[in-house]
Amino acid sequence: MSGERSGERFRDVLRGTIDGKTVVARRGATVLETAESVGIRIPTLCHREGLPPDGNCRLCVVETKGKLVISCMFPVREDGFAILTQSPGVREARRFVLSLMLNRAPKAPAILKLAGEYGAGADPRFSRDPDNCVRCGRCVRACRANRTEAIALVGRGFERSVSGPFEKPPPDCVGCLSCAFVCPTGNILYSERDGKRRIWDKEFRLVPCPECGTPVFTEEQIRFLGEKASGLCPECGRRRLASALRNAEPLSGGSRGF
Amino acid sequence: MRFEGPAAVAARREELARKDPDVRTLRVCGGPGCLASGSRELLAALKEAAVASGLDPAKRRISFTGCLGLCERGPLLELDPEGHFLRGVAPSDAAEVVGTALGEGKLVPRLSPNPESPEKESLEFYGPQKRLIMRRFGKIDPESFDDYLATGGYEALVISLFESGPAETLRRVAESGLRGRGGGGFPAGLKWKAMTGAKGTPRYVLANGDEGDPGAFMNRSLMEGDPLAVVEGLTIGAFALGAERGIIYVRNEYPLSVARLEKAIAGARARGLLGENILGTDFSFDLSVTEGGGAFVCGESTALMASIEGREGTPRVKYVRSTEAGLWDKPTVLQNVETWANVPLIAANGPEWFKGIGAKGNPGTKVFSLAGETRNTGLVELPLGTKVGVLVNVVGGGVRKGRRFKAIQSGGPSGGCLPESALELPLDFDHLTEAGAMMGSGGIIVMDDLSCPVDVARYFTGFLAEESCGKCVPCREALPVLREVLSDLTRGSGRKGDTDFLEKQAGLLKETALCGLGQSAANPVLSTIRHFREEYLEHESGYCRSGRCRGLYVPVIDPGACRACGSCQKVCPAGAVGGKKKEKRTVAAGKCVGCGACLKACAFFAIRAERKEHVG
Ligand SMILES: Cc1cc2nc3c(=O)[nH]c(=O)nc-3n(C[C@H](O)[C@H](O)[C@H](O)COP(=O)(O)O)c2cc1C
Ligand code: SF4
Ligand code: FES
Repeated sequence: MSGERSGERFRDVLRGTIDGKTVVARRGATVLETAESVGIRIPTLCHREGLPPDGNCRLCVVETKGKLVISCMFPVREDGFAILTQSPGVREARRFVLSLMLNRAPKAPAILKLAGEYGAGADPRFSRDPDNCVRCGRCVRACRANRTEAIALVGRGFERSVSGPFEKPPPDCVGCLSCAFVCPTGNILYSERDGKRRIWDKEFRLVPCPECGTPVFTEEQIRFLGEKASGLCPECGRRRLASALRNAEPLSGGSRGF
Repeated sequence: MRFEGPAAVAARREELARKDPDVRTLRVCGGPGCLASGSRELLAALKEAAVASGLDPAKRRISFTGCLGLCERGPLLELDPEGHFLRGVAPSDAAEVVGTALGEGKLVPRLSPNPESPEKESLEFYGPQKRLIMRRFGKIDPESFDDYLATGGYEALVISLFESGPAETLRRVAESGLRGRGGGGFPAGLKWKAMTGAKGTPRYVLANGDEGDPGAFMNRSLMEGDPLAVVEGLTIGAFALGAERGIIYVRNEYPLSVARLEKAIAGARARGLLGENILGTDFSFDLSVTEGGGAFVCGESTALMASIEGREGTPRVKYVRSTEAGLWDKPTVLQNVETWANVPLIAANGPEWFKGIGAKGNPGTKVFSLAGETRNTGLVELPLGTKVGVLVNVVGGGVRKGRRFKAIQSGGPSGGCLPESALELPLDFDHLTEAGAMMGSGGIIVMDDLSCPVDVARYFTGFLAEESCGKCVPCREALPVLREVLSDLTRGSGRKGDTDFLEKQAGLLKETALCGLGQSAANPVLSTIRHFREEYLEHESGYCRSGRCRGLYVPVIDPGACRACGSCQKVCPAGAVGGKKKEKRTVAAGKCVGCGACLKACAFFAIRAERKEHVG
C-alpha cells in the first residue's frame, strides 16, 4: 500500500470519546455503529439493520456539544468528537418518547422493558385507543425494500397509520411476512392453517419446499420473485448454496477456501 | 425581442421612459385583501366606464397592481402619476372615478382618506413604512414586463453580469448581512459561501413560496405584485452560485401566483434573460414553478425538496447541509421568495447601502401582515428594528375601540406571544427570538385585554397538531397531549400542576422533534407560560381574567364606571343583565352563560371578568 493511500486511510479514522471512553471511528459512521463497536448499547426502536434508517422514534438520542442528536443517523465527522449516551438530558428525552409510545402500545413487551429501564409510564389521561402500533414504519420500509410496496404510512399527525391503499387489504401484498418479522411491537398478526396463510386480511396458499416439504413461501411470493425464486425453504436454500459453492471452480489466480 | 446585451436593455428602458408623458393610469389594488373585497369587479366596472366615456385607452389606462397595504379599507386605488390614493371604492363609483380621476387627474374627495394631502404616504399607516420589496406595488402592472423594466428591473442583473462578476456578486450579498425572510433569519451569505466549495452538478437555487401560515399573505402579495423581482433575484443568485436550474415552489392554493410567475418567467425567457447564454454571455440558467404539496409542513426545507422530487412531502432527518446535498442530492440553496427579492437591490446598490437600512445585524426591511385588534390592519413593510410600539400605535393606529393593548403574537402558528413590554422591543430576528417569539414569516397579531393567552396557545397548538406530518413520535404524540391539557384549562377542567406539566412537555418536544415544525411547535405554549404564567395558574383553578374562556368567570359591572347606557343589556343573549333605563346595570351571575358579549359591548370598560367564587 502506498504512503499516500495510507495517509488517506488515516484521515478517515477519527478519535473521540463516548461516555468518556476513548474510541476510534470511521469517518461517516453513525454514532450508533461506533458505540456498538465498543460494546456501548444505545436503545433503538425504529432502526433496524438492513432497512434504510428513518430516525422517527427519537429513542436513540445521545448528547453532543450540548445538543441532542439521534445516534442511528448522526455521522461521526470530526476528530475529538465527544458523545454522551446516558446524560440526564438523554435519559429524560428517552423517558419522554417512551411515555408517549406507551400511550399507543401500552402492552408491547419491547417497549415496556425499555420503559422500565427509563422510568417511563403511560398517563391514563392521554391514552386514546391504543392500537399497539408505534408508527415506526419498519414494516413499510421492509415492504419497500422487497419492492412489493404493498403497505404505506397514510394520513398525517396523530391519525397517521399503516395501511394498504384505501384502507383495504393491500392488493400488492404477496404474504411474505417481512412486515410481521420486523415489527417491534408484534402488532402485525398472521395465521397459518391447512396450508394457508392469512395476513392483512388476505389469504395465501402456501407452496411446500420441493426438497423438505416445509411450506414457507406463498404462491404470490414465488410469482413475484419470478426467476430468482427457487421455492426452497431457507434451510434447504442455504444447504444447496453451500454445496454449490463447495463444488465451484476456484476463480483463476484467487484462493478461496471454504 | 431578445436582448443580446446590456445596451439593448438600456435602450429599451430609455424608449419606455420617452413614451408619451401624458399617460395616466388607474392602478387597482389586486392584492389578496382587495380581491376579496371586490377589486376584480371594480376593475371590470372601471374598464366599462372608460369605454363608455370614450377615453383614449392608450393614454388613459386601467390595470391591476400589487397590494397597496391598507387591505381592510379596500378596494384601494392609486392614480399614477398624481399619486392620489382612494379607498373603499365600489363599482358604483366607477363613472365618477373614471371621469374625474382618470380623465382629468383630479381627486374624488369623498373617496380619499385625507383630501388635504391625497398621497397615501400622508397617512399614519404609511408614515413609518419603507416600501422596498413593495416599491413597485401601486406603480406597475405585475403582468407587464415593460413596466418592470421601466422601473429599474434588470439593472441589477446587468450590473452583476457585466460589472461585478460572480465573486463580487456573492461578496455583496454576504457583506450585506441579508438574513432569510422565511422564518429562521439565517444569514444568506453563509449559505451561499457554503455552496462555493460543494461538488456536484447541476446546482440548484430554490425559492420557497409555500407560505403555509394561516392568514399570511406577504409572500403571495410579492409573487403576485412583483413576480419579476423574484425571478431576477434567483437569476442573480444562480449567477453568483454557479447554478443552472431554479425552481419556485408555490403554495398550491395560490393559482394566481403561479400564473403570474409563469408569465414572468416566459417574458424573461423570450427576452433572453433566462435560458441559454443570458444577455449574450456564457451564463445559462432556467427557472420553473412547482405547485406545493398542500400541507403546512411542505414549507420545511427537506419536505419541500422531497415534494419537488415527487415523493411525499414529509421532512427527513438531515445531518448534511443542502448546500452539499439538497435537491436530488445536489448542491442547493433554498431561500424564501422575499429573501430573493432583496437580492437585486443588494446586487445593484451594494452592501453598505443595504446595511444603512434597518438595525445592526438585522439589515433591510421586512414585510409584515398586521392583523388583530388595531384600528388599521393590512400589509406593512418596515425597516427591521422598528419598535413594536410604532407598528401597533402608529401604523396600526392603536388598539380598536380604545381597549387596552395586551400582547402581540408574532411569527405565525409556531411563533410566540409577547406582553405589553414588547411595545419597546425592536422588531428584528434576534430580539423577537430572545423574547420567546420569532420573526417567522412576519405575521403579527395584536391582542387586546379580552384575549386570553391560554386560549391563544390552545388555538395554535391545535393548528400545529393538525399539521404535524406524524412521522416522528414527539410531534405526533405530544402535540395532542398539549392540546388536550390546554383545552382542559380553557374549559375549566384543568388540574393543578398543568402549567408545569405543559412547560416540561413542550420543552422536551422542542429538543426531540425531528424537524422545525415539531421543534418550534412548543413556542406558543412556552412563550405564553413565560409571559403570562399567572393567568395559566388562574386557569388551573378555573378562572379566566380576560373573560374569554366560557364559564371561567362572571361579568361584574362596576357601579362607579357604569354610565347606564344599557348596551350590555342589549347584547346579552341570556337576559342576565338587570336594571331599568337610565339605571346602572347589574349581572345576575346565575343566569350568565359566559359568552362575554357584554364585556366587548361596554364602551366605558365598566365590566370586569371576576372569579366565580368571588361573586355571590
Ligand atoms: C414547518 C415549517 C414550515 C415552513 N414553511 C416555510 C414557508 O412557508 N416559507 C418559507 O420561506 N420558509 C418556510 N420554512 C423555513 C424553511 O425550512 C427554510 O428555512 C427557508 O425557506 C429558508 O429560506 P430563508 O433562509 O430565505 O428564510 C418552514 C419551516 C418549517 C419547519
Ligand atoms: S416534527 Fe412533526 S412535522 Fe416534523 S417530522 Fe416530526 S411529526 Fe413530522
Ligand atoms: S432508533 Fe434512532 S430514531 Fe428511532
